[in-house]
Amino acid sequence: MDAFWLIPALPLASAGALLLSAGRMPRLWAAGLGVASVGLAALCVALLARDFLAQPGVRQITLWTWMAVGDFTPRIAFYVDGLTLVMMSVITGVGFLIHLYSVEFMWEDASLCRFFAYMNLFVGAMLILVLADNLLLLYLGWEGVGLCSYLLIGFWYRDPDNGRAARKAFIVTRAGDTAMILGLFLLLTELGTLDIQALQVAASAQWQVGDTLPIVATALLLGGALGKSAQLPLHTWLPDAMAGPTPVSALIHAATMVTAGVYLIARHYQLFLLAPPTLEAVAWIGLLTLLLAATTALAQNDIKRILAWSTISQIGYMFLALGAGAFASGIFHLMTHAFFKALLFLAAGAVIHCLHHEHDIFRMGGLRTRLPVAFWSFVIGSAALAALPFTAGFYSKEAILRAVWDMPGSGHWLWAGGLLGALLTGIYSFRLVFTVFFGRAHTEPDRRPGWKMALPLGTLCALSLVGGFFALPLAGVFPARDHAVVNHAVEYLGIGVPLLGLAVAYLLFLGRQVSIAALLASPVGRALQALWQQGWRVDALYDALLVRPFTGLCHWWRKEPVDLAYNAVIAAAHWGHRGLAALQSGQLRWYATSMVLGLILLLAAVLRHAA
Amino acid sequence: MNAADFQALLPLLVLSGGAVLLMLQIAFVRGVNRSAALATLTLVLAALSCASAVEQAPRQVTPLLVMDAFALLFCAVFCLAAAVTVLLSGDYISYHGDEPEEYFLLLVLSTLGACVLVSANHVASLVLGLELLSVSLYALIAYPNKSILPLEAAIKYLVLSGTASATTLFGFALLYAATGTLAFDALGEQLTATATGRPMLLLAGAMVFAGLGFKFSLVPFHLWTPDVYHGAPAPVTGFLASVSKAAVFLVLLRLFLDADLFRYRILVELTGLIAILSMLAGNLLALLQTNIKRMLAYSSIAHMGYLLLVFMVCIERDNRGLAVEAAAYYLIAYIATIIAAFGLLTLVSARQVEREDVQLQHVSGLFWRQPLLACLLLVALLSLVGVPLTAGFIAKFYLVVAAVDGSNWVLLGALIVGSAIGIYYYMRVIYYMSRKPEQQVSQAAPADGLAVRVLSGALIVIILLLGTVPQPLMAYIRSIL
Repeated sequence: MDAFWLIPALPLASAGALLLSAGRMPRLWAAGLGVASVGLAALCVALLARDFLAQPGVRQITLWTWMAVGDFTPRIAFYVDGLTLVMMSVITGVGFLIHLYSVEFMWEDASLCRFFAYMNLFVGAMLILVLADNLLLLYLGWEGVGLCSYLLIGFWYRDPDNGRAARKAFIVTRAGDTAMILGLFLLLTELGTLDIQALQVAASAQWQVGDTLPIVATALLLGGALGKSAQLPLHTWLPDAMAGPTPVSALIHAATMVTAGVYLIARHYQLFLLAPPTLEAVAWIGLLTLLLAATTALAQNDIKRILAWSTISQIGYMFLALGAGAFASGIFHLMTHAFFKALLFLAAGAVIHCLHHEHDIFRMGGLRTRLPVAFWSFVIGSAALAALPFTAGFYSKEAILRAVWDMPGSGHWLWAGGLLGALLTGIYSFRLVFTVFFGRAHTEPDRRPGWKMALPLGTLCALSLVGGFFALPLAGVFPARDHAVVNHAVEYLGIGVPLLGLAVAYLLFLGRQVSIAALLASPVGRALQALWQQGWRVDALYDALLVRPFTGLCHWWRKEPVDLAYNAVIAAAHWGHRGLAALQSGQLRWYATSMVLGLILLLAAVLRHAA
Repeated sequence: MNAADFQALLPLLVLSGGAVLLMLQIAFVRGVNRSAALATLTLVLAALSCASAVEQAPRQVTPLLVMDAFALLFCAVFCLAAAVTVLLSGDYISYHGDEPEEYFLLLVLSTLGACVLVSANHVASLVLGLELLSVSLYALIAYPNKSILPLEAAIKYLVLSGTASATTLFGFALLYAATGTLAFDALGEQLTATATGRPMLLLAGAMVFAGLGFKFSLVPFHLWTPDVYHGAPAPVTGFLASVSKAAVFLVLLRLFLDADLFRYRILVELTGLIAILSMLAGNLLALLQTNIKRMLAYSSIAHMGYLLLVFMVCIERDNRGLAVEAAAYYLIAYIATIIAAFGLLTLVSARQVEREDVQLQHVSGLFWRQPLLACLLLVALLSLVGVPLTAGFIAKFYLVVAAVDGSNWVLLGALIVGSAIGIYYYMRVIYYMSRKPEQQVSQAAPADGLAVRVLSGALIVIILLLGTVPQPLMAYIRSIL
């Protein structure tokens, strides 16, 4: 499989065809093209993976050098190693299942063609992001997925709220991207290259561990990662991004795009290893995010928002792993999370699809018997999310917690935080299951999911169960970690805490041995409920700190000095134009005179110099 | 002269032979299509013969001409540009019932002049090429002799260009008086032997520069540009703006390099000043123009200013390779873009009553009437702005890289300010093109047909290819320097 350039080319070509058809393509063709291109890309990845496993080793290909001016040679060049392969498998594999699912979910939408065009474009851009062998190309993919995310969040653009959510996602991630591009400039000026591998070699040679420059550079890259992966303090866009169609939430805002930040850090791990303070910050940001998001998820009523906050929280775990230096564990969790979170979103989509677009979990209930497919998907997905033993999530989360415990310095504190997060995860995920699928029914489903929905759900169920046994080909990518003596108490706690969470959820939401109403009625309970429901009021905080001062300033400046500067530029340009245009009299004698005058000036200048 | 000499000289021979044949053909059988076909054939053959001539390159043929790969590359480019001009002008030039066969003859001759100029390394051949180019252009500009505007433009160009030629010649005379030689490299040897401070040499350099600076319309010798561009038939304007300017620029660059006039710092510093003035004045003058031809005329002043940056970068001997490379790429991209832009104006205005006047409203709503032609102008304008993935971006990027290498920050600043102003007036044309057509402003349907479509498509593809796959051409230019 040498022609792995086909992998991103297929979805991109299909996106191009769909876009150029301007919606005139028959629905069946559009859907078929959209699904088949990603399916073929997945097939190519599988072939490449077979090759790779038989004969491991880095594969590189330079497709096209845009130009070579001086030292500057932007290239379309791809780089495949174990990490790329894992990412590509997730993107195309899960992507294919979600595309298939979308055919049924979106079938009645008038803009089916546009939907598949954007989805394919996204898959292509995401593949470019993970395949890129230089940061410039990676940035192209990075911005490409950002654009697709914007387009798809605002897919139903006739509702202004969706447009607002799309803009919010775009602008918030832009803040991170600005930091990232500054980081790119810094790396380019300091190291003279943007080739990821060459850059890391140069960095290791030029910089010492703990120097200022690598810390600044990695902090700037981290800024980009925080925006894209929705981590504190740039996480506020992700819950609102649920305005998009559910398959979009599953693919972009759960399984793939939001993990781009994790990929970015893992890809540049050598750089980050030179900057221990940044890595420490990554760990703490991950921990804070995961706790904040988990508590928030506890108090939400919207099924998709619960899942969105849980995504933020799970990516927090990945950041925690990266911060602890357990890069392979972070990527492992990225993969298992892609399986079970896609499963949960798709199952939620099936519920929403069959319940007249109902999102409130308290208006659902009793769906266990009515939508068995969705129910079992949810049970398996939630079990994996809560890391109950023998699910995929269990193995990856265990690996993270063990690695964090071994981390020198603040490791034990981080571990305790992670464990608390696991408890919360157990509670909120089964709160969702018990509320939606048990108890009294509030809304009757008007249809059942068909095979195009059931097949992806079944496949993802299987992956969520057995995904923990996959051995990722990451051996050559990340440095080997020496395993400290396994502390059995740590292991038992890691196994027990999620079960405890399940038990708490059972007591509160199913058995009702403990009254949740009484808890909520207490002043503390009420305050926490209000605080958590609004995600610790971060949005309100940003509104007060950033948005209102900014709009206030704008309002205040409306016709004032800032405009004067712009008007002055315009006036100067007009004035210059009029002055110069006055010289264009059209008269030959003046033209000739001006030539002579010009010549005299020129000669005078030369003579004055000579004298 | 032996066979190798003839082979090296092949493009010039083909052009001269073609011109004679054309003259004979016109004498016996008149017919626009026949003449156009013969002219196209000559030009294409001449372009193809460059491939054969390059086998002998570099070769000094007589003391006058040096046929190196660089000169031959531009000979080929000029011939192709002229061929496109011929194809575009058929409808335009014959519409008013003139008898336009000699028009093609003049076009071939002035292409010959341009080819002589780029391969000149002796003052005599420089003057010869310059006059061949200019005299043909006077006649070409005045060719539609039934209207006022072309005649006015031709007279203006004749008088002023004559003045400029005289200035140049005077400069060369002074140079000859001081050094006793007229070959570029011999001039260089003589000049290195003398001190740089001699007033006579400085005066000579300044006069040569001023005379040639007129030809590519630098401030303060730029006043003629809009009037001549405006009055001349659109295809001739395109030729004048692209081929003629490129040829003069290249010969000036060769003169400065071979004779190492960069030693005269004051000259180079004045060049920098003139570059800045040209960038700013050109862009400011274009700002509020509603006549598209005048707008492009002013913008060409600015573009020549950008190009002059190369002279500043060349001061450092180490940077010369990159600078010349940048200039060559810039010129090729510029020629393609300008030919496309004026080609479109030719097609749009061919059947208008006042066809020399192309106003903004003439292209209003072009997107809805003639999408392909609108795309052609769109691509050309975006290329002039310097939007990525068009030829103009790579060209400008090259200049910026060269300027950064040479640390010419002031010029770079002027380039950026100028480009920023430029965006406004180029975009305004695009805005007009995309407006919904109100009532039919344009009097007659613009020319259409298979040939026009193929040609427009090809020009679009060339401009985009130069912007997306610039590497082969860059590598070639680098290899022949």
